[in-house]
Amino acid sequence: MPATDQLSTTLSALADPTRRAILHRLAHGEATVNELAAPFDISLPAISRHLKVLERAGLISRGRKAQWRPCRLEAAPLEEVADWVAYYQTFWNDSFDRLEDHLREIQRGNADDNQP
Amino acid sequence: MTTSHNADLGTTNEITTSRYFDAPRELVYRAWTEPDQLARWWGPHGFTNPVCETDPRPGGLWRIDMQAPDGTIYPNTGRYLEVVPLERIVYTDVVDDDATAWGDTPPPSSVQTVTFEDTNGGTTVTVVVRLDSPEARDAMVEMGAIAGWNESMERLDALLAAA
Repeated sequence: MPATDQLSTTLSALADPTRRAILHRLAHGEATVNELAAPFDISLPAISRHLKVLERAGLISRGRKAQWRPCRLEAAPLEEVADWVAYYQTFWNDSFDRLEDHLREIQRGNADDNQP
Repeated sequence: MTTSHNADLGTTNEITTSRYFDAPRELVYRAWTEPDQLARWWGPHGFTNPVCETDPRPGGLWRIDMQAPDGTIYPNTGRYLEVVPLERIVYTDVVDDDATAWGDTPPPSSVQTVTFEDTNGGTTVTVVVRLDSPEARDAMVEMGAIAGWNESMERLDALLAAA
């Protein structure tokens, strides 16, 4: 199933704390490899390897023109996951609204029944 | 306002939603288990439930065909795993394999636990949705982490709002 493949790729890319931290940084805007490496006590090649994983997963894209090739967050692969959460939240919030109305109605009905 | 609800993504594979209802527990429980009542409130605003069948006992099957305002039918079915009258219902929620209405992205299968508690003269209902495929579980764990970031990250905030 293509969707599961994409999801698995997204998840394995997200499984590493350094890569999550990189995405966190990129959520605030584009950054160069040097800027991304600065907070970490690891080599530039190691950072580059992490960026390649993120890029393959479609979670980041990299500029083509500038020689420092700034990295940018690509949120689309996260959307499938976000969709599920949004679906259940909407479903239950709406259903609870309707259940509330329904309970109010039947209680009003019961009260009417008890009128002499 | 006598109601409140929250959806807690936490850091688990569960989505928890609860709400207080100003109604006695027995009434609320019956609204969950009697098909003619269930059909009147299950699903998003504007939906109806032309098919609604329940059999609230362990192993019993349920089926609800939700109909969207545009007429599209969204079938759901599942099995009751645990039924403690007035207290707790556990059931599976499985999207019908034959259903095409959900398109390419049907919701993942889940196990849902509903609990009913007396609270301040009314009833608090809590629904815990636990996604049951390994991919979905992992996704929920990551989603929890992402939702945590969301507080400080505008772009993901926008993503979640748009989703």
